[in-house]
Amino acid sequence: MWNFDDIQQKALQEIDACRDLDEAEALRVKYLGRKGLLPEIFASLSQASPEEKPLIGKGANQLRARITEALEGIKKRVQEETFDPTQRIDVTLPGVAPVLGHKHILTQIIDDICQIFVGLGFVVQEGPEMETEFHNFSALNIPVDHPSRDAFDTFYLESKDPGNPGRHLLLRSHTSPGQICIMEKYAPPLAVVIPGKVYRPDAVDASHSFMFYQIEGLLVDEHVKFSDLKGLLTVFCKRFFGEEIIMRFRPHFFPFTEPSAEVDISCYICKGKGCSVCGRKGWLEILGCGMVNPKVFSAVNYPKGKYTGLAFGLGVERMAMLKYGIHDIRIFFENDNRFLNQF
Amino acid sequence: MKISIKWLKDYVSFQLPAEKLAHKLTMAGLEVEKIEDAGDDVILEMEVTPNRPDCLNFQGIARELSAVLDKPLKLPKVKKLLYPKTRCDIEIADQKDCGRYIGTVLEPVQVKASPDWIGTRLSALGGRLINNVVDITNFCLLETGQPLHAFDYDKLIGGKIVVRRAKAGEKIVTLDGVERALDPSVLVIADAQRPVAIAGIMGGLATEVTNQTRKILLESAYFDPVLIRRASRLLGLKSDSSYRFERGVDFATVEAGAARAVSLILTEAGGGVVARRDVNPGRVRAQGKSVTVSLMEINELLGSELTVAKCRTILKKLNFRVSAGGPGVLKVVAPSVRADIKDPVDVIEEIARVVGYDNLPLTLPLVRAQNVPPQPEYPFAHKLRDIFIGQGYNETVSYSLLSQGSLDKSGLSGLPVVRVKNPLSLDQEVMRPSLFPSLLGIVRSNIHRGQKDNKIFEIGKIYLGQAEYKMLAVMGSGTRDKDWRALHNRAWDFYDLKGALDQMFARLGLTAVVYEACEDPFFKKGTGASIRAGKTALGRVGEVDRGLLQQWDIKHRAVFYAQCDFEALYKLASKKPSFKKFSEFPGVTRDISLAVKEDVSFQKVKEVILKQGGALLEDVAFLEEYRGEKIQPGYKGFIFSIVYRSSLKTLTEEDISIAHGDIAQALIDQLGVVMR
Repeated sequence: MWNFDDIQQKALQEIDACRDLDEAEALRVKYLGRKGLLPEIFASLSQASPEEKPLIGKGANQLRARITEALEGIKKRVQEETFDPTQRIDVTLPGVAPVLGHKHILTQIIDDICQIFVGLGFVVQEGPEMETEFHNFSALNIPVDHPSRDAFDTFYLESKDPGNPGRHLLLRSHTSPGQICIMEKYAPPLAVVIPGKVYRPDAVDASHSFMFYQIEGLLVDEHVKFSDLKGLLTVFCKRFFGEEIIMRFRPHFFPFTEPSAEVDISCYICKGKGCSVCGRKGWLEILGCGMVNPKVFSAVNYPKGKYTGLAFGLGVERMAMLKYGIHDIRIFFENDNRFLNQF
Repeated sequence: MKISIKWLKDYVSFQLPAEKLAHKLTMAGLEVEKIEDAGDDVILEMEVTPNRPDCLNFQGIARELSAVLDKPLKLPKVKKLLYPKTRCDIEIADQKDCGRYIGTVLEPVQVKASPDWIGTRLSALGGRLINNVVDITNFCLLETGQPLHAFDYDKLIGGKIVVRRAKAGEKIVTLDGVERALDPSVLVIADAQRPVAIAGIMGGLATEVTNQTRKILLESAYFDPVLIRRASRLLGLKSDSSYRFERGVDFATVEAGAARAVSLILTEAGGGVVARRDVNPGRVRAQGKSVTVSLMEINELLGSELTVAKCRTILKKLNFRVSAGGPGVLKVVAPSVRADIKDPVDVIEEIARVVGYDNLPLTLPLVRAQNVPPQPEYPFAHKLRDIFIGQGYNETVSYSLLSQGSLDKSGLSGLPVVRVKNPLSLDQEVMRPSLFPSLLGIVRSNIHRGQKDNKIFEIGKIYLGQAEYKMLAVMGSGTRDKDWRALHNRAWDFYDLKGALDQMFARLGLTAVVYEACEDPFFKKGTGASIRAGKTALGRVGEVDRGLLQQWDIKHRAVFYAQCDFEALYKLASKKPSFKKFSEFPGVTRDISLAVKEDVSFQKVKEVILKQGGALLEDVAFLEEYRGEKIQPGYKGFIFSIVYRSSLKTLTEEDISIAHGDIAQALIDQLGVVMR
């Protein structure tokens, strides 16, 4: 009869004393190999008495399991102890990824703003930049002798207006002619946002550019109210600038809306206390808006008195400058990689 | 416009601290931009919108404030004067230029320093004190909004005033001591011989009121706003007077302002009125227009629930005459200073302003399903952007205006460009006929700032003839993406740019895109290609000509450029390809190594393989181009990897050998290719 406890104890001691894989292999051969101890034990079964047989069988199986397990364990330990450190990779080295480019910040801001309105049922439309005096001024109730029509305030083109020979085409000085383009083409109800470039002959400095982006908004239907204008722009400002901002609607003047308003938001720097960013006012002017002047509706031959509408316009660069603390408008058009890569 | 709170209190009483007052004014439409402490006074700087010239003076602001604060308006009492029958000699050449002119002659006046009460008020606003007569004209301008001017009557040749256009070649030395050349677009006040003032802008030095002056002619007039504005711009000369005339003064105030000034001069400088003339007084009756507006209109437009009584009270506080025009209807006549009130909406705005926009309700609009379709090009542009930023390109946004020089330097002279009539600088002469100069300028400035790797694209408009076209342009220069595992970063080249374009075409579902070698003025010889899909021209790609780069001050650097027509891409991309079922059977890959004559293009070889491969050929990948000693002269080596797969069965060795052999034979027969 085999003394399984003694055999197991001795085997485990020997295994535990292993220092390398060769020794472990030798022990495997000694115990588990073809001519090793365990085959010998199993072979002895044939001579064992019927009472001993199950005991030997059970004991041998247990022994084999324990030795196998111990050998696996020791192999792992020995492998770890003999690991070649030069095979270790520096997991802190930088990963390698394909470079991703960046959408221009103005594109991003335009899309952010447009998507807010798209979510509210508006559609995005774009209008031409080379416009007629009718679209840019007359239809918007801007009188013939208005200063903004002067060559000091509007770029005129050498091209003649095909519909009004004698007059020149111009570069739109705001996106509001986009309102006229839409209304000439479609009957209400309509709700559009019109993003695009506009041009003014301003001397370029940190806050002026001869080209910049605006977004125009227009909603025309029966029974559109001033209270709707307030509600719509409140939703917009809170989504764009954050729920916590405070807004105010301040009376203003635009020839193409009446009543007209400018919207201010509480200064994000000083929270309304007054600082250099808001010019000590505590408020930042962010957009102009109002109820569409009935004279604009008559310019596009909408039936008198049937429709009311709301309109608004905002400067995209200004929004970006406020949101990201950019102080020079020229940087948008320089396209320095160090600027583009930040957004 | 600057106002002193202390002075303002002459016309309306209030106890508000400056910040509160500023807020009230701002929320009534008179935006206060600056509050300045000035000892025992506070100066407010406010922006008056162009429709409210009536608020460019203390009385006008006080009128607004009295309505907003509900306090009475206190206007100075001007004693009605009895003027002598004697008329002074005033002649107006064209009534359109000058709608009204009141001349009042006073003598003997004692010209001296102003009394304190006028001096402190003017000084508080930073005004320079001259003498009592001049100061009174300035005081009345600020008080009433009527610009006034006093001439030394004895210096008016012929004792005569003529309001006329300047004659060509005429000159005047204005009060600021500057000699100014005039032309017939400028309206002047002349005496019998010469201009003595630029109408509405500034008086002349020759007839200035000095301490020696004993007899004066006080001018109070209405000049055409456009004429004054243009002259002011032309001469580069602005004044408190021109600012108000440009925006329009009130016909009635011409008389009220004169009366106030005359009474102050009589009190402060003595003397009496010896002659007077009011030319064109008929226009005085030009009153505010009568406007009818219903309560329903008011509440419908504002979304409010105001009452007739409330509206009536507000309008009355603004000095409007209000009478009932039927049930729920108001008949309104604005004061003559409010020339901006002509239509019902104008009246509604007045009510909204005084109620306060912040006190009006807030609702969400009903946005109904509508007739205007979304513009599908807008999301398409974003799709293109995503494709290029995904490949490491930065999007740029650049000016649409360029200099002619930048076109000449780009080999783009002679296009039907759109020119700007009034550019401010040479950089704004033309609308860009191509995105090429814009992108090259950006790459150049980045290179000059030490940033040598540039991969950029722009989706922007170009302008030709009378039309605007959207374009996609891509430019790259430098090395390929950095990878620290690679020893050297390979230079970025034509095939990197072409690859980016191919990626785009693939993503847009354009399968039949072909590149054909072509020459282009801005491409280096032998590197340009035109791109088309079927018969549609899509664009061009190539390496930028080195000589051209030299002109742009870009040296020792290769730059690659591509442009595509946005509309064409959009139209082709919108044809949606349908789903193709893929085979369940295994595919087998076989390489083929060819020696191809130098003048046979890759495209031709590939076309033969595709055509011959037929249904069994699933894919052809290009592995290598080889030139060198292992290949006969005049030939180049191409290695392709061809994938064969059937949708019907697992291909046998024999099937594949036949197919592969057929392709080889076709290449030999059709292109004279030699198998390697």
